[in-house]
Amino acid sequence: MSRRNAAIFAAVLLAIAAGAMALAGANPLAGFAALLRGALGGERQLSETLVQTTALLFPSLAVAFAFRAGLFNIGAEGQLIVGGLFAGLAGAALVAPGWIAIPVILLAGAAGGAIWGGIAGALRARFGGNEVIATLMLNIVAALLANYLVVGPFHAPAATGPETAELPVSSWLPVLIPGTRLTISLLLALALAGALSFMFARTVFGYALQAAGEAPQAAARAGIDLRRTALVALTLSGAIAGFGGATLVAGVLHRFNVALSPGYGFIAIAVALVGGLDPLWIVLAAFAFGILQSGSLTMQALAHVPKDVVGFVEGLAILGLSARRIANPREESA
Amino acid sequence: MVETAGAALEAIGIVKRFGTLVAVDGVDLELARGEIHALCGENGAGKSTLARILAGALAPSAGRVASDGPVGLVHQHFELVDRLRVWENVVLGREPRRGLRLDAAAARERVRSLAREYALDVDPDAVVESLPVGIAQRVEILRELAREPSTLVLDEPTAVLAPREIDALFATLRSLAARGAAIMVITHKLQEVISHANRVTVMRGGRVVLRAATAETSLDAIARAMVGGDVPALATRRAVTPHAAFAARDLRAGDGAHALRGASFEVRGGEIVGIAGVEGNGQSALCDAIAGVVPYAGEMTLDGEPLRGNPGARTAAGVRTIPQDRQREALVLPWSIARNVALGDHTRPPLRRGWSLDRQACDALATEIVRRFDVRAASIRTSVAALSGGNQQKVVVGRALAHEPRVVIAYQPTRGIDVGAASLVQSRLIEARNAGAAVLLVSFELDELLAVADRILVLYRGAIAGEFVREGFDRARIGALMAGAA
Repeated sequence: MSRRNAAIFAAVLLAIAAGAMALAGANPLAGFAALLRGALGGERQLSETLVQTTALLFPSLAVAFAFRAGLFNIGAEGQLIVGGLFAGLAGAALVAPGWIAIPVILLAGAAGGAIWGGIAGALRARFGGNEVIATLMLNIVAALLANYLVVGPFHAPAATGPETAELPVSSWLPVLIPGTRLTISLLLALALAGALSFMFARTVFGYALQAAGEAPQAAARAGIDLRRTALVALTLSGAIAGFGGATLVAGVLHRFNVALSPGYGFIAIAVALVGGLDPLWIVLAAFAFGILQSGSLTMQALAHVPKDVVGFVEGLAILGLSARRIANPREESA
Repeated sequence: MVETAGAALEAIGIVKRFGTLVAVDGVDLELARGEIHALCGENGAGKSTLARILAGALAPSAGRVASDGPVGLVHQHFELVDRLRVWENVVLGREPRRGLRLDAAAARERVRSLAREYALDVDPDAVVESLPVGIAQRVEILRELAREPSTLVLDEPTAVLAPREIDALFATLRSLAARGAAIMVITHKLQEVISHANRVTVMRGGRVVLRAATAETSLDAIARAMVGGDVPALATRRAVTPHAAFAARDLRAGDGAHALRGASFEVRGGEIVGIAGVEGNGQSALCDAIAGVVPYAGEMTLDGEPLRGNPGARTAAGVRTIPQDRQREALVLPWSIARNVALGDHTRPPLRRGWSLDRQACDALATEIVRRFDVRAASIRTSVAALSGGNQQKVVVGRALAHEPRVVIAYQPTRGIDVGAASLVQSRLIEARNAGAAVLLVSFELDELLAVADRILVLYRGAIAGEFVREGFDRARIGALMAGAA
């Protein structure tokens, strides 16, 4: 999508959002004002927006990673959940100083996501299975599997909800601003965006990955193994999403709960596409979607606009941005 | 001009714009009854666009076409329904009916009489996909003739035909013209123009730059008009001490009609071996097998060592390919020239340094290719998608020849590019040969092979049907073998 088309698309979405607010009986201007105040109106609001930005950034980078390799990973949600589950189980079981426990928890999350992405990658590499279908279906498997495990075998005895035992405080991610939920995971996400940007632009690995995505036949003739690329790309994409799930567990909830993600992995598709699959633009796009996520409750309270308006608009964005990609996943990006 | 037989079609001030591109820029054209009129020009000169406008398949942006009857258009890429029979294709859209039912007997009879009338020998009941291209083309012509056109336009009709079939086609066209039709043939094979056409119109950049009776012009004058200047001379071939470089034994690949069915040959270093043949006789399978992108049976050796492994390993061993489809198989279109030149060599020094691509080395290589191949681009950062087909091909050929290749496999390296670029590509292939590379050149243009090759192998139905050395090149004999003569 060109920058101009992106602007038109954003304008249409804003108009639809305004219409939805009006239909809900609210003044759209008041609605937008409340949304912005709720997201940016003070330190607490801004930090909460950055928490949402971070939560979106990991799966968005995961989606972009696969996409650059020509693979449409719409399973970031499932990979994020499995990653969170692995992190929650590892974190609850592990008694160790934070400098050991925290890396182990995050890597456990990455491993969980990598397995989940890798299944789709292996199906594609071995049987030529369509990764769109595989990743989509694995979302459902992930949600049901996580639900079963935390209601059944791994249910924390003291907990009331479907969740694992709480992590020891020493295993929590360090907070950036005292009194907020904003942790160093924001810095990790930004570093990852920078690293991916460098990887795509400079490294041989990124070169081969994108060649396979943009021109598979030419890549194959240049000795790039397309099957291996599919496996590696979906595995690493899953690892990034799983890592993001682990940061939510270790940084926000301090345990795994089935309600870990309100659909970050799906919104991530829109974020990645709005960001033109460019990691640095995706940071900005994630911030914009973070504003929507965190401002919606204030909007509901102050302007009496149901927060579902935000979900509705996000859903439209995902649909509008991904429909063409599903029909023709190899279409040129950005 | 005296038109004793009168005009069958007249086009005045035709302009066609696609966005900002002006494909046809104010063309006047008159086709007389009874003439064969050749329309020449390089790729992108506007010939096909003009043809579609004349046939009413495309509306001009300005100007008008007056015709005294239907205009038939025979497409470069046939527009036939492969699964249907010949007669079904011919009557498609104008089926004779009896009540609600298709009157198959009448339709078949009509096609049969049409074929007899125009001496176009085809079996009305044959299924189109089982027909060789030359016959399929007759079906396409028959379909247009069924509409009783006063003008018949043929877009590059000889591109897919063997020399003998070309003569048969022009004999048919001559008899159609004798019955009062106007025939326009788009071609870039100038020998055909001189031999078969009455008049010639040359287009360049959307405009007419030459109109002449073929009797009053020359091959050279037409070529100069097409190019807009002199056609550059080919590089001279120098004597090279040949040593065995590449050998294939009983190579088999692909399946179906286009398979390669056991080819054994050798290409020595310092030699260009031309593969002559009509498209679809195993050329793709041959090149893909050598490149290692398709499964195959048989053996290949490079200087006596077995040639194995994936395409990357073969590239590393010095086997370089110029693939058939440059846009899909050779280039990453959104990428810059500098990024594209590394493809295939991105895994090794000098273009790789540690985990990264060496940008300076890539830039230096791109700059060198742009200079040596005269690639017309704003800079090496220009996306290859923005280059013309000829310039894209120069990048592909430049990359293939950049690292002192031992074997070069070139599949139609001059297809669809202008005369100047084609001549440059041919010269660079000759220079690679002079430097000791073994060059395998697949071309459907016999003239190209006669000009460039040291040796010609004729490929017919997946097997080598004949071999000719340069001193013994025999146009007629090669042409006959291409068409399947024993």
